[in-house]
Amino acid sequence: MKKSLMLLMTLIFVASAMLAGCGKSNSNGGNAPANEGQTTTNNGGNEAKVNDEPFEITIRHTQVGESKKFRLALLEDVVKKTQDAVPGLTIKLDAVESEVNRKEKLRGEMAAGKPPEVFDVFGSPDAALYAKEGLMLDLTPILDELGLKDKFTTLAPFTVDGKIYGLPIGGSIEGYFYNKEYFEQKSLKTPTTLDELDKLAEAIKADGKIPFAQSSKDAWIPLMTTNNLWSYYAGPEITYGFKTGETKWTDENMVKAVAKHKEWVDKGYYKKGELGFEYADMRNQIITGEAVMMMDGSWANSVFRDPAQAGDMVGKIGFFNMPPVNAGDPVVVMQDANNGYGFSAAVAEDPRKLQAVKEFIKNMWTDEMQLRGLKEDGVLPAMKMDLEQMKTTSDDALMQDIFKAVSEIGTSFPAFDALVQAEVNTALSMGIQQIIGGEIEPAKMLENVQAAQDTANKAEQ
Amino acid sequence: MNKALRNPLIYLIFVIPAFVLFLAFFIYPVFTAINNSFTSWNGISKNINYIGFDNYVTAFNDVAFWKSVRNNVYFILFSCLIQVPLIVIFSLLIANVKKLKGLYKTAVFMPSIMSTAVIGILWGFIYNPDFGLANEILGVFGVSPVYWLSDKNWAMISILITNAWQWTGFYIVMVLAAIIAIPKELEEAAAIDGATGFQRATRITIPLIMPIISVVIMLSIAGAMKAADIVLVMTKGGPAGSTDVMATYMIRYAITSFKHGFGNSIAVLIFVFTIIITVLYQVLISKRTERIEY
Amino acid sequence: MRALKKSIPHIFLMAYLLVILYPFLFVLFSSVKTNNQDIASNPFGLPGSITFDNYVNAWVNAKISTYFFNSLYIGVFSACLSILFAAMLAFAVTRMRYNRISAIIFQLILLGMLIPNNSLLLPIYGIMRKLDILDTHVALILPYVANAIPFSVIILAAFMRSLPGEIEEAAVIDGLSSAGLFARIIIPLTVPAIVTVFIINFLGNWNEFLLANYFLSSEELRTLPVGMVGFRDAYNTNYAQMSAGIIFSVLPVMIIYAILQEKIIEGVTAGSVKG
Repeated sequence: MKKSLMLLMTLIFVASAMLAGCGKSNSNGGNAPANEGQTTTNNGGNEAKVNDEPFEITIRHTQVGESKKFRLALLEDVVKKTQDAVPGLTIKLDAVESEVNRKEKLRGEMAAGKPPEVFDVFGSPDAALYAKEGLMLDLTPILDELGLKDKFTTLAPFTVDGKIYGLPIGGSIEGYFYNKEYFEQKSLKTPTTLDELDKLAEAIKADGKIPFAQSSKDAWIPLMTTNNLWSYYAGPEITYGFKTGETKWTDENMVKAVAKHKEWVDKGYYKKGELGFEYADMRNQIITGEAVMMMDGSWANSVFRDPAQAGDMVGKIGFFNMPPVNAGDPVVVMQDANNGYGFSAAVAEDPRKLQAVKEFIKNMWTDEMQLRGLKEDGVLPAMKMDLEQMKTTSDDALMQDIFKAVSEIGTSFPAFDALVQAEVNTALSMGIQQIIGGEIEPAKMLENVQAAQDTANKAEQ
Repeated sequence: MNKALRNPLIYLIFVIPAFVLFLAFFIYPVFTAINNSFTSWNGISKNINYIGFDNYVTAFNDVAFWKSVRNNVYFILFSCLIQVPLIVIFSLLIANVKKLKGLYKTAVFMPSIMSTAVIGILWGFIYNPDFGLANEILGVFGVSPVYWLSDKNWAMISILITNAWQWTGFYIVMVLAAIIAIPKELEEAAAIDGATGFQRATRITIPLIMPIISVVIMLSIAGAMKAADIVLVMTKGGPAGSTDVMATYMIRYAITSFKHGFGNSIAVLIFVFTIIITVLYQVLISKRTERIEY
Repeated sequence: MRALKKSIPHIFLMAYLLVILYPFLFVLFSSVKTNNQDIASNPFGLPGSITFDNYVNAWVNAKISTYFFNSLYIGVFSACLSILFAAMLAFAVTRMRYNRISAIIFQLILLGMLIPNNSLLLPIYGIMRKLDILDTHVALILPYVANAIPFSVIILAAFMRSLPGEIEEAAVIDGLSSAGLFARIIIPLTVPAIVTVFIINFLGNWNEFLLANYFLSSEELRTLPVGMVGFRDAYNTNYAQMSAGIIFSVLPVMIIYAILQEKIIEGVTAGSVKG
């Protein structure tokens, strides 16, 4: 036994132990960020003031990790200002990764009826559901008082029965990132119609490159393309009607849109096997120059502006909207502001906490903070903002492209998942993967989605 | 004597911790799962509506659910029809070699001690279409690349291979122990009678290790019904639900779609199916093999 | 001819060994290559120039040390606790004179072996929520301890039953109470079975993914399997760095296995034959 063990050791362990040793010796400095952004407690002099018993509120945020450090710094500044303004207040920051917070943590707390006082939340469908259970604070009177109500581009995802339950922190649009350098070399122009986009893809394909980077392991990624396509073919209004039953997924224009996406798949405009790829893979395809265009949210700009992530590609990436079917038609683009902060309904019972929340809102949603988020992080403002002012905030070429794209928007619409039930999203996610996998026809796939829609609508009555 | 061993207080103290935990984490959850499975609860609301068997009807009418059941069945069939014969063959081979026995035993067992999640990552890497090991090897033989985890025709088999890679060694070691426990005289007697190695294996060894093979099959079935982590890590049930097993189907609907009641009905179905398969196996197959003793 | 015949089993076994070990070597080689292109151009061998940057980056980015110690202490602590509780119950059921109650308890616990605890994820999640301990390590330790109980009780009870009755008669005559009998006589005699059960429980806890994934959210609380999956999702385009991360996560288990391998294999076989 001993002898064979030695044999095995020499096969594997020795070499790997050596390597591990080398890795370890260099890594001492590396553990510091582990404690980043945990709690910010106020040790300051507020306690000294008379009649002000210390009290605490918790803010659940999702600014975890290196890529969100600017957002965190911004939040910390707001926290500090709020603490200074409210005597006795201590704000505890509770950092949780975004997906985990959305899918597990917050849902768990909501079910227990005990969310933190302030929490990161997605507008629709999440906030609507929580609001219906009476778990979220109605912000309408506070917004009226602070005069903020009309300052936002849209509050629709956070509005239930005319009452506002949350405020978006930033906005985003969906469009194509593209390799500018490649376009210049081949003297290609950004498209003004879907046909031109098609031709572009064809030319790129003929050149041996991948026209569109895409990673479909998570279905929401290809669905960005589908959603924008159907909003051209069937009109952006159609998505609003699915829930009420006024419109159907099986509409012939919907079929056309899905068929278009399928056509692109069939023509080989996407990398083969991308159905098994993760989100980061498609960005990598752009960064390595393997692919030329990529449909993604404007938030991806932070990746392409960061030399640590994008390497040589920094400065070589541009952005354009998905073009309309006919030249000169209005540009229709997904633009939403679905992620933001909500507040616990329990806050209303404690006037001091309510005061703290009011102060937090006052400090968080200012032009200054919105522009700072834009400048440092490339997050589009959720509040109405003069385009010229935005343009002067960041002189980065990619940001300028995105501002230009925003200025070209004729009609904007919220992402479909904000307008339909979660199970419809599940069915559509399944469907698009089947389309990409070549196992279903568009009409049949949409029938399946409509069936899920019917069931979901029936359950709601 | 009896007094020392009939102390009710001590008895209670000794029994309670384990038994309470057992009740809390096995019995109570089964009942809450059954209870919730008759509701349309979204996991959050305080109002819980009882809707009878609707969730079960929905599940039975859902093609995707039956797909996930089918994938559980694939798991079971793959273990019983492909893994078990391999396990027996390799166990016999290892038992009959004189040299390097220890090395083989140590090495084959190694994958079983590793986390399924890490193995899922490792194999995701092997299956990478561009530079994964699997396609590089195929390339050597001139076979064009296979999109292992992206192609619905290959994704399930890819997961099954990974699962087999992890657990085959574990069972080999178990079967090996049983083979080594067989009295030497039996084999020697057979050898004197002129039986070949193959005959000795099929006539003597295999019948004698049937009980342990039966245990292996039972464990494989239990493992197949539980399988979720390997699927979650490798494909998240995709592409298009083609690798969903019942447990991942449950997670997808219950946790992602606010359908807690429905998810619980799937939990109950997993439970019921497991019991049915176990009982069926015990009645149909296991009974016959149990009589053999040595 | 004879030599050839003798080497045939070795050929098959070596082939199997290659299948088992090559993925590890592949990862090991990949981990010292500079980038994906490097891996793609030379997948089978060592690269011309060896780089250890991946190890540095993986260690920094993946916080392997945090995950590792979380997994280690949760795994060990839960395994110890479940053995203590299971041994107490097994002792009470097999050696104390309450046969009727004992039989009922034991049957119930046997039933537990049939319950696929994976499917109980949702109700257990509900319990954790009510206890308000989600996102703490207690939320993992409690179910880990509980999940191990049926198996541990069955093995330990089988072992304790096989101990001769004379031992305790002598002990009781010497004036030991039943608690003393348990602590001084039965436990020391049961050590071989306890080691078996410990190893199996520990490995189960060490590798557990589902509960750890859904019950914990804070990054610094994560266990190794969950941490590694998170690491993969964040850095999955850099396969060289991923490989280094895999090596880090696998190495400790390999070392433990290298030291304890005979005990582990013994444990698994003994356990399953009896179970």
